[in-house]
Amino acid sequence: METLGTDEIIVERALSGDADAFGEIVRRWERRIFALTYGMLGREEDARDATQETFLAAFRNLRGFRGEAKVSSWLHRIAVNQCITRQRRAKVRNEAALDDEEDKANSFAAPLEGSPATITEGRQRTVAVRRALNGLPMELRQVVVMKEFEELTFREISEALDLPLSTVKSRLYTGLKQLQMRLEKFAA
Amino acid sequence: MKEKDLSSTCERTDELVSVLYGEAGERERRDFELHLPQCSNCRAEFAAFAQVRESIGEWRDGALSGFVSAHPAVAPVRKSALAALRQFFDLSPLWLKGAVGFAAAVFCVLAALAVMRSGPAGEPVRVAERNPDAVYTKQDLDRAVQEALAKQSPPAVTPEPENVVQSPTPKSANIAKSEPKARRPFSRAERAQLAADLRLLSSDDESDLDLLDDRINRQR
Repeated sequence: METLGTDEIIVERALSGDADAFGEIVRRWERRIFALTYGMLGREEDARDATQETFLAAFRNLRGFRGEAKVSSWLHRIAVNQCITRQRRAKVRNEAALDDEEDKANSFAAPLEGSPATITEGRQRTVAVRRALNGLPMELRQVVVMKEFEELTFREISEALDLPLSTVKSRLYTGLKQLQMRLEKFAA
Repeated sequence: MKEKDLSSTCERTDELVSVLYGEAGERERRDFELHLPQCSNCRAEFAAFAQVRESIGEWRDGALSGFVSAHPAVAPVRKSALAALRQFFDLSPLWLKGAVGFAAAVFCVLAALAVMRSGPAGEPVRVAERNPDAVYTKQDLDRAVQEALAKQSPPAVTPEPENVVQSPTPKSANIAKSEPKARRPFSRAERAQLAADLRLLSSDDESDLDLLDDRINRQR
């Protein structure tokens, strides 16, 4: 396969007028950014919109990218900001992010296999996890999502969020602890 | 603070998280594994967090399995020269195909003619062999040159009788034969003579024509 270079080289190509270069950045990071926005927002439609807006914002601010941070960190920061903005807007409109989406959610997922009881149980657990995650404070949620959905390393999260490594671990621990308590409450 | 309230009674939360996600160093992992049997709190949290991760993983796998990229990656395909040529002809219009076919046919005919004209392979051309032992002196070389010049020189021209009317043809033939490369320009006298000859010839022709006319008249 053709070698296209690092993200930073591709961004340089995009800045020098290569129309296809930014498309390559989108192809490389689209899935991971979608995973992040999906984990943060919990709804497919919102996640798709936030992903699109993330890349649009990145394209508009391409000249502002100075190469001090990695392209991945830069994109993550933009995506997290997009999610925060969306959630604020949703709160203003007094929208419940998940309540009306419980039935729709599973249409996006792969078809479930097993007995009706198992499927129902699985769906309930999924709903519980999404609610629990959605209930976490933003600073905890983004660390949990980056770790669980994007499978980034602690160091990558620390670079993307510009946080010390110990803070990332501490936030992840707290996030998992809160999730555990919420899920226990749901099971009871 | 909330984070403080939820913090473990054990101080080794960083190690717990590092081991849980497989990012602990070898030494850190071994220390924590030694600590785990002695700390019920860490043991319980480790098991509970693993279960939380499993639940998130189920949701994640289901949710992301349906993801379809809006920008499908197009892998660059390298074609062979033959495949590229075939594609070119597939896409080219009919007239271009015909023109290329005609050009190919013409090329084949010309190539066949060239092969035929070259003839069958006969005896190979003999090339004079060099005698490395032969030594030529300057005298030998001069003699060889003289002999070659003697062979090339034209035979002696016999003098023609002066009173015989010279026909223009043999004279011109003689001129042509004698040293064609070093031809000197005609002198004035020669030009006059040549003009007279030509006039003589034309008068003969005219008389021939008259005779011919006469013959025709007679036949009538």
